[in-house]
Amino acid sequence: MKTPELSACHEMEALLPAYVERSLPAAEAERVAAHLTTCPTCQLQVTQLRALGDDLDAALPEVPRTALRANFMAMLEQQKALLPTAPPLAAPAPPAARVVSMWPTALANNWLRVAASLVLIAAGILLGRQLPWGTRGSDGLAAGKPAPAALADALVGDNGQPVSASDRIRLVANSTKEKEPGDATVQVLLNTLNFDASPNVRLAACEALYRLRDDPRVREGLVQSLSIQTDPNVQIALIDMVVSLRVRRAVPQLQRLAKRPDALPVVRTQAEAGIGKLI
Amino acid sequence: MAAVRADDLDQLVPLFERYHGPLFNYLTRLTNDRETSEDLTQTVFERILKYRSSYQPTQPFKAWVYQMARNVHADYWQRKEKLRAADVDEVERTGGLRGAAFSQMRVSSHHDDLHEALALLPPAQREILVLNRFQGFGYEEIGKLLGCTAEAARVKAHRALQALRKIYFAGG
Repeated sequence: MKTPELSACHEMEALLPAYVERSLPAAEAERVAAHLTTCPTCQLQVTQLRALGDDLDAALPEVPRTALRANFMAMLEQQKALLPTAPPLAAPAPPAARVVSMWPTALANNWLRVAASLVLIAAGILLGRQLPWGTRGSDGLAAGKPAPAALADALVGDNGQPVSASDRIRLVANSTKEKEPGDATVQVLLNTLNFDASPNVRLAACEALYRLRDDPRVREGLVQSLSIQTDPNVQIALIDMVVSLRVRRAVPQLQRLAKRPDALPVVRTQAEAGIGKLI
Repeated sequence: MAAVRADDLDQLVPLFERYHGPLFNYLTRLTNDRETSEDLTQTVFERILKYRSSYQPTQPFKAWVYQMARNVHADYWQRKEKLRAADVDEVERTGGLRGAAFSQMRVSSHHDDLHEALALLPPAQREILVLNRFQGFGYEEIGKLLGCTAEAARVKAHRALQALRKIYFAGG
Protein backbone atom coordinates (compact mmCIF):
# COMPACT_ATOMS: atom_id res chain seq x y z
CA MET A 1 0.00 0.00 0.00
CA LYS A 2 1.56 3.27 -1.09
CA THR A 3 1.14 6.50 0.76
CA PRO A 4 0.92 9.67 -1.36
CA GLU A 5 4.40 10.75 -0.14
CA LEU A 6 6.00 7.53 -1.23
CA SER A 7 4.54 7.68 -4.71
CA ALA A 8 5.61 11.33 -4.92
CA CYS A 9 9.14 10.27 -3.95
CA HIS A 10 9.01 7.52 -6.53
CA GLU A 11 8.18 10.06 -9.21
CA MET A 12 10.92 12.33 -7.91
CA GLU A 13 13.53 9.63 -8.35
CA ALA A 14 13.18 9.92 -12.11
CA LEU A 15 13.31 13.73 -12.01
CA LEU A 16 16.12 14.33 -9.54
CA PRO A 17 19.06 13.65 -11.91
CA ALA A 18 17.63 16.20 -14.33
CA TYR A 19 16.98 18.57 -11.41
CA VAL A 20 20.59 18.26 -10.30
CA GLU A 21 21.92 18.89 -13.80
CA ARG A 22 19.46 21.81 -14.12
CA SER A 23 17.82 20.53 -17.26
CA LEU A 24 14.24 20.49 -15.97
CA PRO A 25 11.68 22.97 -17.29
CA ALA A 26 11.11 25.80 -14.79
CA ALA A 27 7.68 24.64 -13.69
CA GLU A 28 8.84 21.13 -12.92
CA ALA A 29 11.97 22.37 -11.20
CA GLU A 30 9.78 24.45 -8.89
CA ARG A 31 7.61 21.43 -8.13
CA VAL A 32 10.70 19.38 -7.25
CA ALA A 33 12.11 22.19 -5.12
CA ALA A 34 8.81 22.41 -3.23
CA HIS A 35 8.85 18.69 -2.56
CA LEU A 36 12.45 18.81 -1.40
CA THR A 37 11.67 21.28 1.37
CA THR A 38 9.39 18.70 2.96
CA CYS A 39 11.21 15.45 2.20
CA PRO A 40 14.57 14.64 3.83
CA THR A 41 14.84 11.37 1.86
CA CYS A 42 14.79 13.16 -1.47
CA GLN A 43 17.08 15.86 -0.09
CA LEU A 44 19.59 13.15 0.73
CA GLN A 45 19.26 11.84 -2.83
CA VAL A 46 20.06 15.28 -4.22
CA THR A 47 23.10 15.56 -1.98
CA GLN A 48 24.28 12.13 -3.07
CA LEU A 49 23.70 12.84 -6.77
CA ARG A 50 25.74 16.03 -6.49
CA ALA A 51 28.57 14.25 -4.71
CA LEU A 52 28.47 11.45 -7.28
CA GLY A 53 28.54 13.99 -10.12
CA ASP A 54 31.57 15.68 -8.56
CA ASP A 55 33.35 12.35 -8.16
CA LEU A 56 32.60 11.39 -11.75
CA ASP A 57 33.93 14.73 -12.96
CA ALA A 58 37.06 14.31 -10.86
CA ALA A 59 37.80 10.77 -12.06
CA LEU A 60 41.09 10.66 -13.91
CA PRO A 61 41.13 9.11 -17.38
CA GLU A 62 42.86 5.78 -17.81
CA VAL A 63 46.04 6.31 -19.82
CA PRO A 64 47.39 3.56 -22.07
CA ARG A 65 51.03 2.45 -21.99
CA THR A 66 53.28 3.70 -24.76
CA ALA A 67 53.40 0.11 -26.05
CA LEU A 68 49.98 0.78 -27.56
CA ARG A 69 51.45 3.45 -29.83
CA ALA A 70 54.39 1.26 -30.78
CA ASN A 71 52.05 -1.62 -31.64
CA PHE A 72 49.87 0.67 -33.69
CA MET A 73 52.86 2.03 -35.62
CA ALA A 74 54.08 -1.49 -36.28
CA MET A 75 50.64 -2.53 -37.50
CA LEU A 76 50.45 0.53 -39.73
CA GLU A 77 53.82 -0.20 -41.30
CA GLN A 78 52.72 -3.78 -41.91
CA GLN A 79 49.51 -2.65 -43.57
CA LYS A 80 51.38 -0.14 -45.71
CA ALA A 81 53.65 -2.89 -46.92
CA LEU A 82 50.58 -4.88 -47.93
CA LEU A 83 49.16 -2.15 -50.15
CA PRO A 84 48.88 -3.58 -53.67
CA THR A 85 50.51 -0.81 -55.70
CA ALA A 86 52.54 0.71 -52.91
CA PRO A 87 52.61 4.38 -53.95
CA PRO A 88 54.82 5.78 -51.22
CA LEU A 89 54.73 9.42 -52.20
CA ALA A 90 52.05 9.29 -54.86
CA ALA A 91 49.05 10.68 -53.09
CA PRO A 92 49.85 12.52 -49.90
CA ALA A 93 47.19 15.08 -49.12
CA PRO A 94 48.50 18.58 -49.89
CA PRO A 95 49.59 20.23 -46.66
CA ALA A 96 47.36 23.05 -45.50
CA ALA A 97 50.27 25.45 -45.14
CA ARG A 98 53.37 25.19 -47.26
CA VAL A 99 56.69 26.17 -45.77
CA VAL A 100 59.30 27.15 -48.30
CA SER A 101 62.82 26.16 -47.46
CA MET A 102 65.36 28.95 -47.23
CA TRP A 103 67.88 26.97 -49.22
CA PRO A 104 67.64 24.38 -51.96
CA THR A 105 66.91 20.93 -50.62
CA ALA A 106 69.85 19.24 -52.25
CA LEU A 107 72.24 21.81 -50.84
CA ALA A 108 70.84 21.48 -47.38
CA ASN A 109 70.89 17.74 -47.59
CA ASN A 110 74.47 17.28 -48.59
CA TRP A 111 76.73 20.30 -48.91
CA LEU A 112 75.32 22.20 -46.03
CA ARG A 113 75.56 19.20 -43.80
CA VAL A 114 79.16 18.65 -44.73
CA ALA A 115 79.98 22.34 -44.50
CA ALA A 116 78.33 22.64 -41.11
CA SER A 117 80.27 19.67 -39.87
CA LEU A 118 83.55 21.15 -41.11
CA VAL A 119 82.83 24.52 -39.57
CA LEU A 120 81.99 22.91 -36.28
CA ILE A 121 85.11 20.77 -36.30
CA ALA A 122 87.27 23.72 -37.26
CA ALA A 123 85.69 25.88 -34.58
CA GLY A 124 86.28 23.17 -32.03
CA ILE A 125 89.92 22.80 -32.97
CA LEU A 126 90.50 26.56 -33.06
CA LEU A 127 88.92 27.04 -29.71
CA GLY A 128 90.86 24.17 -28.32
CA ARG A 129 94.12 25.70 -29.50
CA GLN A 130 93.57 29.40 -28.95
CA LEU A 131 91.90 29.62 -25.61
CA PRO A 132 94.35 29.54 -22.72
CA TRP A 133 93.83 27.09 -19.94
CA GLY A 134 95.73 26.35 -16.81
CA THR A 135 97.65 23.20 -16.17
CA ARG A 136 95.25 20.40 -15.61
CA GLY A 137 95.37 17.73 -12.99
CA SER A 138 97.01 14.52 -14.00
CA ASP A 139 93.70 12.79 -14.72
CA GLY A 140 92.39 15.63 -16.84
CA LEU A 141 88.98 15.36 -15.19
CA ALA A 142 89.64 16.73 -11.75
CA ALA A 143 90.03 20.30 -12.94
CA GLY A 144 86.91 21.36 -11.06
CA LYS A 145 85.21 23.75 -13.42
CA PRO A 146 86.93 23.32 -16.78
CA ALA A 147 87.04 26.25 -19.16
CA PRO A 148 85.47 25.54 -22.54
CA ALA A 149 88.73 24.64 -24.17
CA ALA A 150 89.69 22.49 -21.25
CA LEU A 151 86.28 20.91 -21.50
CA ALA A 152 86.84 20.11 -25.16
CA ASP A 153 90.21 18.69 -24.31
CA ALA A 154 88.97 16.74 -21.34
CA LEU A 155 86.20 15.23 -23.43
CA VAL A 156 88.79 13.77 -25.75
CA GLY A 157 91.17 12.79 -23.00
CA ASP A 158 94.93 13.08 -22.66
CA ASN A 159 96.97 11.92 -25.60
CA GLY A 160 93.86 10.89 -27.47
CA GLN A 161 92.99 8.37 -24.75
CA PRO A 162 89.22 8.10 -24.80
CA VAL A 163 87.42 9.24 -21.65
CA SER A 164 84.56 6.96 -20.60
CA ALA A 165 81.04 7.91 -21.65
CA SER A 166 79.88 8.41 -18.07
CA ASP A 167 82.79 10.79 -17.42
CA ARG A 168 81.95 12.66 -20.60
CA ILE A 169 78.32 12.95 -19.46
CA ARG A 170 79.46 14.35 -16.12
CA LEU A 171 81.76 16.85 -17.80
CA VAL A 172 79.07 17.98 -20.18
CA ALA A 173 76.44 18.22 -17.46
CA ASN A 174 78.73 20.34 -15.29
CA SER A 175 79.80 22.55 -18.14
CA THR A 176 76.85 24.94 -17.96
CA LYS A 177 77.29 25.79 -14.31
CA GLU A 178 78.58 29.29 -13.64
CA LYS A 179 78.94 30.08 -17.30
CA GLU A 180 77.84 33.24 -19.00
CA PRO A 181 75.99 32.85 -22.26
CA GLY A 182 78.17 33.70 -25.21
CA ASP A 183 81.32 31.98 -24.11
CA ALA A 184 82.84 29.12 -26.00
CA THR A 185 81.05 26.41 -23.99
CA VAL A 186 78.14 26.52 -26.44
CA GLN A 187 80.40 25.66 -29.33
CA VAL A 188 82.05 22.80 -27.50
CA LEU A 189 78.68 21.43 -26.48
CA LEU A 190 77.45 21.67 -30.06
CA ASN A 191 80.48 19.71 -31.20
CA THR A 192 79.76 17.11 -28.56
CA LEU A 193 76.12 16.99 -29.60
CA ASN A 194 77.05 16.37 -33.20
CA PHE A 195 80.11 14.18 -32.98
CA ASP A 196 80.27 12.29 -29.70
CA ALA A 197 80.08 8.56 -30.28
CA SER A 198 77.69 7.88 -27.39
CA PRO A 199 74.01 8.82 -27.75
CA ASN A 200 73.83 9.31 -23.99
CA VAL A 201 76.61 11.89 -24.07
CA ARG A 202 74.86 13.58 -26.99
CA LEU A 203 71.65 13.65 -24.93
CA ALA A 204 73.52 15.21 -22.00
CA ALA A 205 74.88 17.82 -24.41
CA CYS A 206 71.30 18.46 -25.53
CA GLU A 207 70.21 19.14 -21.99
CA ALA A 208 73.21 21.30 -21.25
CA LEU A 209 72.52 23.34 -24.38
CA TYR A 210 68.93 23.79 -23.31
CA ARG A 211 70.19 25.48 -20.15
CA LEU A 212 72.21 27.86 -22.36
CA ARG A 213 69.22 28.51 -24.63
CA ASP A 214 69.54 32.30 -24.35
CA ASP A 215 72.60 32.11 -26.56
CA PRO A 216 71.50 32.58 -30.17
CA ARG A 217 73.97 29.94 -31.39
CA VAL A 218 72.08 27.29 -29.46
CA ARG A 219 68.97 27.51 -31.63
CA GLU A 220 70.95 27.50 -34.83
CA GLY A 221 73.03 24.58 -33.64
CA LEU A 222 70.01 22.54 -32.66
CA VAL A 223 68.42 23.09 -36.05
CA GLN A 224 71.58 21.98 -37.83
CA SER A 225 71.93 18.98 -35.59
CA LEU A 226 68.45 17.72 -36.54
CA SER A 227 69.78 16.60 -39.90
CA ILE A 228 72.90 15.02 -38.43
CA GLN A 229 71.48 12.87 -35.64
CA THR A 230 70.49 9.28 -36.31
CA ASP A 231 69.76 8.05 -32.80
CA PRO A 232 65.98 8.14 -32.18
CA ASN A 233 66.31 9.34 -28.57
CA VAL A 234 68.49 12.26 -29.59
CA GLN A 235 66.21 12.99 -32.54
CA ILE A 236 63.15 13.14 -30.29
CA ALA A 237 64.96 15.25 -27.68
CA LEU A 238 65.99 17.71 -30.40
CA ILE A 239 62.47 17.88 -31.81
CA ASP A 240 61.08 18.56 -28.35
CA MET A 241 63.65 21.28 -27.82
CA VAL A 242 63.13 23.16 -31.07
CA VAL A 243 59.39 22.98 -30.46
CA SER A 244 59.60 24.24 -26.89
CA LEU A 245 62.01 27.00 -27.94
CA ARG A 246 59.66 27.73 -30.84
CA VAL A 247 62.44 27.72 -33.44
CA ARG A 248 60.38 28.23 -36.59
CA ARG A 249 63.32 27.82 -38.93
CA ALA A 250 63.57 24.21 -37.80
CA VAL A 251 60.47 23.43 -39.86
CA PRO A 252 62.30 22.48 -43.08
CA GLN A 253 64.59 20.15 -41.12
CA LEU A 254 61.59 18.63 -39.37
CA GLN A 255 59.89 18.10 -42.70
CA ARG A 256 62.91 16.29 -44.00
CA LEU A 257 63.13 14.23 -40.83
CA ALA A 258 59.46 13.33 -41.13
CA LYS A 259 60.16 11.89 -44.57
CA ARG A 260 63.45 10.17 -43.82
CA PRO A 261 63.02 6.49 -44.58
CA ASP A 262 65.67 5.50 -42.06
CA ALA A 263 63.97 7.33 -39.17
CA LEU A 264 61.76 5.32 -36.82
CA PRO A 265 58.02 5.84 -37.32
CA VAL A 266 57.75 7.30 -33.83
CA VAL A 267 60.41 9.89 -34.72
CA ARG A 268 58.64 10.77 -37.96
CA THR A 269 55.37 11.16 -36.08
CA GLN A 270 57.03 13.36 -33.50
CA ALA A 271 58.52 15.50 -36.27
CA GLU A 272 55.09 15.83 -37.91
CA ALA A 273 53.57 16.83 -34.60
CA GLY A 274 56.39 19.35 -34.09
CA ILE A 275 55.74 20.92 -37.49
CA GLY A 276 52.08 21.21 -36.54
CA LYS A 277 53.01 23.14 -33.41
CA LEU A 278 55.53 25.44 -35.09
CA ILE A 279 53.55 26.60 -38.14
CA MET B 1 39.79 9.76 -42.79
CA ALA B 2 38.92 10.39 -46.41
CA ALA B 3 42.68 10.27 -47.17
CA VAL B 4 43.05 6.97 -45.27
CA ARG B 5 40.18 5.63 -47.31
CA ALA B 6 42.17 6.51 -50.42
CA ASP B 7 45.03 4.32 -49.15
CA ASP B 8 47.11 7.15 -47.70
CA LEU B 9 47.54 5.18 -44.50
CA ASP B 10 49.89 7.68 -42.84
CA GLN B 11 46.91 9.96 -42.38
CA LEU B 12 45.66 7.52 -39.76
CA VAL B 13 48.45 8.64 -37.40
CA PRO B 14 46.83 11.96 -36.40
CA LEU B 15 43.51 10.17 -35.93
CA PHE B 16 45.26 7.62 -33.73
CA GLU B 17 46.84 10.42 -31.70
CA ARG B 18 43.50 12.06 -31.18
CA TYR B 19 41.33 9.06 -30.44
CA HIS B 20 43.43 6.27 -28.97
CA GLY B 21 43.41 7.78 -25.47
CA PRO B 22 39.64 8.30 -25.28
CA LEU B 23 38.97 4.91 -26.89
CA PHE B 24 41.29 3.16 -24.47
CA ASN B 25 39.59 4.97 -21.60
CA TYR B 26 36.15 3.97 -22.91
CA LEU B 27 37.12 0.31 -23.32
CA THR B 28 38.85 0.17 -19.94
CA ARG B 29 35.71 1.47 -18.24
CA LEU B 30 33.69 -1.22 -19.99
CA THR B 31 36.05 -4.15 -19.45
CA ASN B 32 37.79 -3.13 -16.21
CA ASP B 33 40.92 -4.62 -17.68
CA ARG B 34 43.72 -2.41 -18.97
CA GLU B 35 45.57 -5.12 -20.81
CA THR B 36 42.47 -6.32 -22.64
CA SER B 37 41.59 -2.72 -23.44
CA GLU B 38 44.96 -2.13 -25.06
CA ASP B 39 44.36 -5.15 -27.26
CA LEU B 40 40.83 -4.01 -28.06
CA THR B 41 41.99 -0.47 -28.87
CA GLN B 42 44.53 -1.93 -31.26
CA THR B 43 41.80 -4.08 -32.80
CA VAL B 44 39.66 -0.98 -33.35
CA PHE B 45 42.43 0.62 -35.41
CA GLU B 46 43.03 -2.63 -37.28
CA ARG B 47 39.37 -2.68 -38.22
CA ILE B 48 39.44 0.97 -39.23
CA LEU B 49 42.13 0.03 -41.74
CA LYS B 50 40.41 -3.13 -42.81
CA TYR B 51 37.04 -1.51 -43.37
CA ARG B 52 38.28 1.91 -44.47
CA SER B 53 36.47 1.60 -47.78
CA SER B 54 33.13 1.42 -45.94
CA TYR B 55 33.66 4.82 -44.32
CA GLN B 56 31.23 7.41 -45.67
CA PRO B 57 32.93 10.82 -45.84
CA THR B 58 29.64 12.50 -44.88
CA GLN B 59 29.63 10.60 -41.60
CA PRO B 60 31.35 12.10 -38.52
CA PHE B 61 34.52 10.09 -37.88
CA LYS B 62 33.89 10.10 -34.13
CA ALA B 63 30.53 8.35 -34.47
CA TRP B 64 32.00 5.80 -36.88
CA VAL B 65 34.98 4.98 -34.71
CA TYR B 66 32.91 4.61 -31.55
CA GLN B 67 30.51 2.32 -33.39
CA MET B 68 33.55 0.28 -34.32
CA ALA B 69 34.73 0.25 -30.70
CA ARG B 70 31.29 -0.89 -29.51
CA ASN B 71 31.37 -3.78 -31.98
CA VAL B 72 34.88 -4.77 -30.95
CA HIS B 73 33.78 -4.77 -27.33
CA ALA B 74 30.61 -6.75 -28.11
CA ASP B 75 32.68 -9.39 -29.93
CA TYR B 76 35.03 -9.61 -26.99
CA TRP B 77 32.07 -9.96 -24.62
CA GLN B 78 30.55 -12.76 -26.72
CA ARG B 79 33.82 -14.66 -26.83
CA LYS B 80 34.05 -14.41 -23.08
CA GLU B 81 30.46 -15.56 -22.67
CA LYS B 82 31.12 -18.60 -24.85
CA LEU B 83 34.05 -19.55 -22.66
CA ARG B 84 31.86 -19.08 -19.64
CA ALA B 85 29.01 -21.14 -21.09
CA ALA B 86 31.44 -23.96 -21.71
CA ASP B 87 32.27 -23.87 -18.05
CA VAL B 88 28.78 -23.69 -16.66
CA ASP B 89 29.42 -26.05 -13.77
CA GLU B 90 31.70 -23.61 -12.09
CA VAL B 91 29.81 -20.43 -12.63
CA GLU B 92 26.17 -20.05 -11.87
CA ARG B 93 24.47 -18.53 -14.85
CA THR B 94 22.83 -15.65 -13.05
CA GLY B 95 25.51 -14.90 -10.54
CA GLY B 96 28.29 -15.26 -13.07
CA LEU B 97 28.35 -11.73 -14.38
CA ARG B 98 28.64 -10.10 -11.01
CA GLY B 99 31.22 -12.57 -9.85
CA ALA B 100 33.16 -11.87 -13.00
CA ALA B 101 32.94 -8.15 -12.38
CA PHE B 102 34.61 -8.64 -9.02
CA SER B 103 37.25 -11.08 -10.15
CA GLN B 104 38.20 -8.95 -13.11
CA MET B 105 38.71 -5.82 -11.10
CA ARG B 106 42.12 -5.03 -12.38
CA VAL B 107 41.94 -1.31 -12.90
CA SER B 108 45.03 -1.10 -10.79
CA SER B 109 45.92 2.58 -10.87
CA HIS B 110 42.54 3.97 -9.82
CA HIS B 111 41.15 1.08 -7.91
CA ASP B 112 38.64 3.09 -5.97
CA ASP B 113 35.04 2.99 -4.86
CA LEU B 114 33.67 4.83 -7.86
CA HIS B 115 35.07 2.35 -10.33
CA GLU B 116 34.02 -0.59 -8.22
CA ALA B 117 30.50 0.80 -8.22
CA LEU B 118 30.62 1.37 -11.98
CA ALA B 119 31.78 -2.19 -12.50
CA LEU B 120 28.74 -3.45 -10.65
CA LEU B 121 26.29 -1.71 -12.98
CA PRO B 122 24.73 -3.75 -15.78
CA PRO B 123 26.89 -3.28 -18.90
CA ALA B 124 24.31 -1.22 -20.81
CA GLN B 125 23.93 1.26 -17.95
CA ARG B 126 27.66 1.41 -17.42
CA GLU B 127 28.25 2.16 -21.08
CA ILE B 128 25.77 5.00 -21.21
CA LEU B 129 27.34 6.65 -18.15
CA VAL B 130 30.83 6.18 -19.50
CA LEU B 131 29.84 7.80 -22.79
CA ASN B 132 28.05 10.64 -21.05
CA ARG B 133 30.38 11.37 -18.16
CA PHE B 134 33.83 10.25 -19.36
CA GLN B 135 33.70 10.58 -23.13
CA GLY B 136 31.79 13.85 -23.26
CA PHE B 137 28.98 12.53 -25.45
CA GLY B 138 25.76 14.56 -25.48
CA TYR B 139 22.39 12.79 -25.38
CA GLU B 140 21.95 13.42 -29.09
CA GLU B 141 25.22 11.59 -29.90
CA ILE B 142 24.45 8.77 -27.49
CA GLY B 143 21.02 8.34 -29.10
CA LYS B 144 22.61 8.03 -32.53
CA LEU B 145 25.18 5.54 -31.30
CA LEU B 146 22.67 3.37 -29.45
CA GLY B 147 19.90 3.71 -31.99
CA CYS B 148 17.38 5.59 -29.88
CA THR B 149 16.13 9.16 -29.52
CA ALA B 150 18.05 11.79 -27.57
CA GLU B 151 15.22 11.90 -25.05
CA ALA B 152 15.35 8.13 -24.53
CA ALA B 153 19.13 8.39 -24.09
CA ARG B 154 18.61 11.08 -21.46
CA VAL B 155 16.11 8.96 -19.53
CA LYS B 156 18.41 5.94 -19.69
CA ALA B 157 21.38 7.99 -18.52
CA HIS B 158 19.39 9.34 -15.57
CA ARG B 159 18.25 5.85 -14.60
CA ALA B 160 21.82 4.64 -14.82
CA LEU B 161 22.97 7.54 -12.63
CA GLN B 162 20.37 6.67 -9.99
CA ALA B 163 21.41 3.01 -10.12
CA LEU B 164 25.04 4.02 -9.68
CA ARG B 165 24.13 6.30 -6.80
CA LYS B 166 22.43 3.42 -4.98
CA ILE B 167 25.47 1.17 -5.36
CA TYR B 168 27.95 3.94 -4.57
CA PHE B 169 26.24 4.99 -1.35
CA ALA B 170 25.00 1.55 -0.35
CA GLY B 171 27.59 1.13 2.38
CA GLY B 172 27.22 4.52 3.96
